Amino acid sequence: MAKEPIKFRSSKHNMDYILLTVVLFLVGFGLLMIYSVSSYEASVEFGDSAYYLKNQAQSTMIGFVGLFVMIKFPYKALQKMDVMALLVSAVLIILVKSPLGITRNGASRWINLGFITFQPAEVAKIGVIIYLASIIQRLESLGKNVIRTPKGLAIILVPPTIIAGLIYLITNNLSSAIIVMGIAVAMLFVAVPDYKWFVAIGAAGVAAVAALVIAVSNADATGSNFRLARIQAWLDPESYSTDRAFQTLQALYAIGSGGIWGKGLGQSMQKRGFLPEAQNDMIFSIICEELGLFGAFTIILLFVVLIWSCMVIANKTMDRFGSLLVVGVMAHYAIQVILNIAVVTNTIPNTGITLPFISYGGTSTLFLLMEIGIVLNVSKYCR
Amino acid sequence: MAGKDTKKKKRRQRINVNKIKSRKLAAMMLIILLAFAGLGVRLYFITRDSQNDYQKKILSQQRYDSTTLPFKRGTITDANGTILAVSEKVYNVVLDCKVMLDDEKNAEPTLTALSECFGLNLTELRQYAEQNPNSQYYVLKRRITYDEMSPFLDRKNEYNAEASKKGNEEMGNISGVWFEEEYIRRYPNNTLACDVIGFTGTDNNGTYGLEEYYNDTLNGTNGREYGYLNDDATLERTTVAAVDGSSLVSTLDANIQAICEKYIKQFNDEHLNEAREGLGATNIGVIIQDCNNGEIKAMASYPNYDLNDTKNSSQLIGMQRLDADGKKTGEIINEEMLAQIEEEGLTYLHLDALWKNFCISDSYEPGSTAKSLTLAMGLETGRIVGNETYECSGALDVSDRHIRCNVRSGHGTLDVSGALEQSCNVAFMKMGEAIGVKNTIQFEQIFNIGLRTNIDLAGEARTASLVFNEDTMGPTELATSSFGQGYNVTMIEMATAFSSIINGGYYYEPHLVNRITNSNGDVVKNIEPRVLKQTISSTTSEQMRQYLYAAVAEGTGKSARPAGYAIGGKTGTAEKAARDKKNYVVSFIGFAPADDPQIVIYCVVDEPNVADQPHATYATGIVKNILTEVLPYMHISKTEEMTIAEQEEVENVLGYLGQEDSSETGDENAEGENAEGTENGESTEAESGESSESGNTSNYVVDPDTGELVNPETGEKAEMDYNYSAEDGEESGSTEGENSGGTSQEVSLED
Repeated sequence: MAKEPIKFRSSKHNMDYILLTVVLFLVGFGLLMIYSVSSYEASVEFGDSAYYLKNQAQSTMIGFVGLFVMIKFPYKALQKMDVMALLVSAVLIILVKSPLGITRNGASRWINLGFITFQPAEVAKIGVIIYLASIIQRLESLGKNVIRTPKGLAIILVPPTIIAGLIYLITNNLSSAIIVMGIAVAMLFVAVPDYKWFVAIGAAGVAAVAALVIAVSNADATGSNFRLARIQAWLDPESYSTDRAFQTLQALYAIGSGGIWGKGLGQSMQKRGFLPEAQNDMIFSIICEELGLFGAFTIILLFVVLIWSCMVIANKTMDRFGSLLVVGVMAHYAIQVILNIAVVTNTIPNTGITLPFISYGGTSTLFLLMEIGIVLNVSKYCR
Repeated sequence: MAGKDTKKKKRRQRINVNKIKSRKLAAMMLIILLAFAGLGVRLYFITRDSQNDYQKKILSQQRYDSTTLPFKRGTITDANGTILAVSEKVYNVVLDCKVMLDDEKNAEPTLTALSECFGLNLTELRQYAEQNPNSQYYVLKRRITYDEMSPFLDRKNEYNAEASKKGNEEMGNISGVWFEEEYIRRYPNNTLACDVIGFTGTDNNGTYGLEEYYNDTLNGTNGREYGYLNDDATLERTTVAAVDGSSLVSTLDANIQAICEKYIKQFNDEHLNEAREGLGATNIGVIIQDCNNGEIKAMASYPNYDLNDTKNSSQLIGMQRLDADGKKTGEIINEEMLAQIEEEGLTYLHLDALWKNFCISDSYEPGSTAKSLTLAMGLETGRIVGNETYECSGALDVSDRHIRCNVRSGHGTLDVSGALEQSCNVAFMKMGEAIGVKNTIQFEQIFNIGLRTNIDLAGEARTASLVFNEDTMGPTELATSSFGQGYNVTMIEMATAFSSIINGGYYYEPHLVNRITNSNGDVVKNIEPRVLKQTISSTTSEQMRQYLYAAVAEGTGKSARPAGYAIGGKTGTAEKAARDKKNYVVSFIGFAPADDPQIVIYCVVDEPNVADQPHATYATGIVKNILTEVLPYMHISKTEEMTIAEQEEVENVLGYLGQEDSSETGDENAEGENAEGTENGESTEAESGESSESGNTSNYVVDPDTGELVNPETGEKAEMDYNYSAEDGEESGSTEGENSGGTSQEVSLED
């Protein structure tokens, strides 16, 4: 590649401090809630009520290092790593099946590189964002409608689909696969002027889901397939209250019992053994229980501010690649927050998606913060 | 141009792209906002529609089951701090299969650890866990001590620490085992003072003795760990700590108690199956009371039982069999009969008879020991001045009855002192006549005869219906009452009344507990000696002491005197009701030392198992043995010269304590220094149980100087091998004297 001097337009230009503040607040709040939610279980299990808090605080520290590295790191260099990012993601996912892979709670989703243990799916998300931002920008620079050619669409959509397929098939992690595909679709949506295709696809998707739901609800509950079982549990949680829908139902009880102002921080009853591992996917329900609708809406509002800030940055930035990166990150957050809250409220079947910044999880926190670093980096080059 | 064109084109394109981008971003943001709004609405509806419902559901699945935290029942110690009864924390091993099987991998290490630490059958454990995967409460082992439990805890911690290391995920954890706390009551001295202490099961409900009388004091309040809903309908978990019970410091001295029990047991063993099948006597009781404050220093009776094994029916062997109404049948219980009793469901009836305290629950006719009361009444009322003389011809006709004296040939002329010394019934009948019915009844009440003493023990008998009143007491009753026949007393009544005669006339309420302390050892209550009344004047008391001293020094009580000491006292030989059966209660009541009374000792032998029962020597022998040991122990110094024979005798009694084969040993112990003599060896030996060979065996439960606990078994063990030959000689020698002195007493109620 030809040497292109990367121009730093104005490093004095302020980055988006509102976004940074919101993120800091969310991370801090997340740590607080993790302690509140997990202390009981941690003290029962490990004899140390701060067990989960300590682990998460450690990951958060590493995450902030990543965040500041990404603020300083010339993000345009990422464009040169686009294909490599995708390949690395694919390789890491495949490594789960190698001896490096680790199985926890019956799921093989982690790999251990000796110094660090992480989920390749999380790497794949950022990899897909970089790849798509880069490739869309390149295709656009070739001509106005290059993207909309079948070949262009294939270049954009096939690699993320492969990655999503790998995630689903190898790590058996449907939620991450959905997120990867969602990010791809969202970035494509922003890149092309069309609406009707998306509306059509959306409608088809809804119809397919409806058909599936009808089919499942009529199927006999043999429950050999756990996803099938989850859908049944979703449709009729009360009938499966002791097994499949136990978690969902307990989460609903938590949300419902919180009322408007909640029971007060630390006062959740559900976290005391009824909502197992509530610090993971179900943390939002405990937030609802302890802080009520008020707390829940506050958190939602903070996420809206965060996503809105991303949108503003994406809109204002002069750099197409940077803009697309921000769109990808924004899509990532939006999908994950929406799906998480949807699962907790039993709006969709249980898929196991974490709430960004708040749920317990080292890899997720690290990459989410790195993505924020990228966004903040891009924000420095806004008009 | 071309470049400019392309530039323009590019710019336009970019503006175009930006416009598209802005619009599409806005569209995407709109979708996102809509999604959030939708979720917000859903949250709102869930809360609005189901808040109450879900709150109830949450509350309904909370476990409110409260756990009881058991309190510790108070300890009972003797005056020296020797523990007589104590509650110990024990643990029940409980397996929670559901928790254990939370992870299949946990089962194997947990069950293996259980079987290895507690010696349980691994196959059975596995089988149980497989068949009952949902069982949450399965008690594997009951009442193990902390020492038995702690190896499991150590192992669990070690194993789980190892398993939590990286790469050991397959090891599983030891989980699902917990320990339920409980207290059990232990009596370190087994049979010692069993009737006084009583016993308590796991229900913390005392039965008999101090355990029953002070049940509420000894018991604390259970603590509780429970959940409750506060004002905001949130569940609060609270722990209310248990309040441990208060402890009792008894007035008993375990050593004196042990000495008494030793000689009672010795008597029993000597006369076991002698004249008839069964125990050495139907009952034997000894009370030692501090006559100056009413404190009971020892209260022993036989047959006794093991407080740690109260329901062992083999302890009934040798006792008389009871019928369904609790009446004695005269049959003696043996091994075969136990099964029969069991079948008839009478085991508890018999055990009750064993458990009750003879010293306070059984009443009997006191016999001649009551002559001390009669004489005190006479002196106090002035009806007897002391210079009277009585003519005894061997019998007296009262009303229409011919009542014989104990010596049928008659005592001849006796003065007051002589009457007491010779225990002359005729003289006392004449005294009774002089005193009169009214005074006798009045003084019986003054002496608390027929009333409870209110000693702090459960099960004191009421004898109100067993004594005369003015309506029922005629001349015959007055006459028999004067020498202790016709009405009933309990041992504690007699001992306490006698104390007041000795100590200057102060009737102290007898008591067994000195101090009540809380679980921190702070004194909650001091039980001070309580003078209930003045029975006689101190002058009368002084006179009585002299008469009673003479009764031992010159009269029937001679055989009760321990060598080297001057004591006072009175023997008694009472014919039991159903006079034709020729059963007797022989007794001795006395005080020591004669010049400065410290203790009153009362020994009652109910139906000694001998061919010829009516000899008070069976009681005086026990008293003499006890006093020979107790007085030196109490640091009461000898006042009397001892003959060489007496010295040898004392050496024989005390010497064996130091050396078992004691024919000529005991010089170091002769002066009652055995307390010190035993100090050096006993606690370390602690004791082999069959220590009849051990050189410096202690007969004390507690070293009186160090307060250290010594195995009381030793004393009892040693006693069985006790060489009694010297005593035998003494006894046979004195029997003659007794006979000529005439303790044997007969009441014939002839027409």
